Amino acid sequence: MKVDKMPLPPAQTELRATEVGLTSAAEQHRAYVQADLLIIPLIVMLFMGIFSFHFALLVGDWDYWVDWRDRRWWPLVTPLALTVLPGVFGYLLWEKLRLPLGASLTILCLTLAAWISRYLNFHLFADFPMNFVWPSTYIGLGLIIDCLLLLTRSFFWTGLFGGFAFGLLVYPLNWPLLAPFQVPVELHGTMLTVADLMGYEYIRTAIPEYVRIIEESTLRTFGEAVTPLTAVFAGFLNIMNYWFWLWIGYLGSKAIWIRKIV
Amino acid sequence: MRTLKTLLVVWLGLTALLLSHVPAAFAHGERAQMPQLRMRAVHWIDVQVSTAKLGVNDIVKISGKFMPSEYWPHHVNSIEDTAYLNIGVPGPSFVRLDSRVNGVPMIRSTSFRRGELYDFEIVLKARRPGRYHVHTVINVEGTGPIIGPGTWVEVTGDPAAFENTATTLLGQTIDLENYGFGNVKWWSALWFAMGLAWFVYWLTKCPIAIPRFKRASELGPDADQMITPMDRRMGGIFLALTLTLIAGGYVYAQEKWPITTPLQTGKIDVPPLEQPTSPVSVRLIEARYRIPGRSFRLELEVSNKGDSPVNVGEFAAGNLRFINARILNVQPRDEHDLVAPDALRVEGAPVAPGETRRVVLYADDAMWETERMTTMIASPDAVVAGLLFFFDGRGRRYMVEFGGPMIPDFGMVKT
Repeated sequence: MKVDKMPLPPAQTELRATEVGLTSAAEQHRAYVQADLLIIPLIVMLFMGIFSFHFALLVGDWDYWVDWRDRRWWPLVTPLALTVLPGVFGYLLWEKLRLPLGASLTILCLTLAAWISRYLNFHLFADFPMNFVWPSTYIGLGLIIDCLLLLTRSFFWTGLFGGFAFGLLVYPLNWPLLAPFQVPVELHGTMLTVADLMGYEYIRTAIPEYVRIIEESTLRTFGEAVTPLTAVFAGFLNIMNYWFWLWIGYLGSKAIWIRKIV
Repeated sequence: MRTLKTLLVVWLGLTALLLSHVPAAFAHGERAQMPQLRMRAVHWIDVQVSTAKLGVNDIVKISGKFMPSEYWPHHVNSIEDTAYLNIGVPGPSFVRLDSRVNGVPMIRSTSFRRGELYDFEIVLKARRPGRYHVHTVINVEGTGPIIGPGTWVEVTGDPAAFENTATTLLGQTIDLENYGFGNVKWWSALWFAMGLAWFVYWLTKCPIAIPRFKRASELGPDADQMITPMDRRMGGIFLALTLTLIAGGYVYAQEKWPITTPLQTGKIDVPPLEQPTSPVSVRLIEARYRIPGRSFRLELEVSNKGDSPVNVGEFAAGNLRFINARILNVQPRDEHDLVAPDALRVEGAPVAPGETRRVVLYADDAMWETERMTTMIASPDAVVAGLLFFFDGRGRRYMVEFGGPMIPDFGMVKT
């Protein structure tokens, strides 16, 4: 790195060159930009990778197949699993950089990775039609969390309102994408949805019909209000869930565990 | 640097070598399944495939019978709980138009009774050109797929010509290959653009990583000073836009698709076929598998209450078929059809009407080894089962299941 922009006495030149690498504001700015150019793509790839693995392990088939997204389990399991990285990295990015990007950026990265994976793995390699394996959209949920954090500047209020909305809105956010697949059809005297029909026709040897968890639960008191009931329940659970993962982010930022190891 | 380049070239070379020798995976793991499960789960009988060569959009039917074994292993979940008739093909190279057991559509899961006989038929429509090993499969909850015999089927033609339509209960005819995807793409792109716009807004403040870290560290509890009024305005705008889009999207979908139903599931009941009473009964006296000779020896007590002498024409176990060439002429349909046309030797038969006598069978073939059935000695209960097909003088066939303990013969003790 050049050091000859700021004139120094000849006797001090060699010493300063080893002590300070950056000697002008312009050079410092350029170095910071170069650091961003290195760090930001790495962070994006890191989020894409870890969120894909995490989501595949905890949500998996619920997001892979259109005939898995039922009214009870999908809107409950998804926000609980989806909140982990927004919570942890949301805390780190806010606390260390004052950037309200943790939720939206991690979910944006997950979405990008999911579309790449569905297109390459599920569609081109395994030959499933894309309308059977499209990923759900969750970016709106990340935006709610980040915007609320920015506006309230409080993890408490973000958790209370944002965490609740995060659980509550999974189903309505995806309904414009999902609704056409829940139109009824008949097959051999059995009523199905279009999604069920696709699940039956597009053969999955290792995913028999009974593996899906469809509407399995109690709490039938509210009759047809299955979706709102699940959404509200998911919302309440997710408040605690979001705070918990923020706390994990806090522990991570303290790096106590590293000190214990080292 | 030179060492690094050399290492890179070697690594690339090895990778290319490995990739060029990767064999195509055609099987469905049937050999990997433990032999006891294959022998004692489901017996597949008279499985037929209507054609071995067809074009895209053409129909192939797979039909036959199956019988859940009376000797179903106790250490795995039973087929009498939850099961599903499936098909084993590499991905959706076909679409399944119909599947029935005893005439009942098998869209949903069901259960099958042990020892009972079931007729099945699966109708497939060819979707992608290729050569596929098509297997019947019964998935059993908690146990896994029980794979039936496989047949090679070749599909030719243009994949772009494939058609798969359905008519909804609202009267709309839809193309299942792309129905609803335009809508999915539009909404997904919109949300992605929203998320990206939010990210780009913060990127406009670049450099952000180091300067913001330093500034936040300096300010400590007052780091909120880093948030500008413009940031807060943008936060408000994005929040309002997000909530409006979610609400608007929901209302739009309710308007456009007012009639929807929840995903459908459930179990369906299938009554078994009525079976005529067999005049032949079998008791297993001893089963020994001689590992060095790949020879299975069965000592049986056979009773014939019929009116004609009976002889054993076939012994079937774990999808392997050993044929007594003196009684039957069965040839493999293709190179992977697990039929040994002359591998069953029978001593002590035929059994005359009204007679009960000891019959010894020898099923000797390399298939025991090549299909990895020899690992039956590693079973947790060392019990085997199979089907015997008896034929009388008038060509009538009687099917009897037998089962019992098996003793391995390691060839170490001279007998």
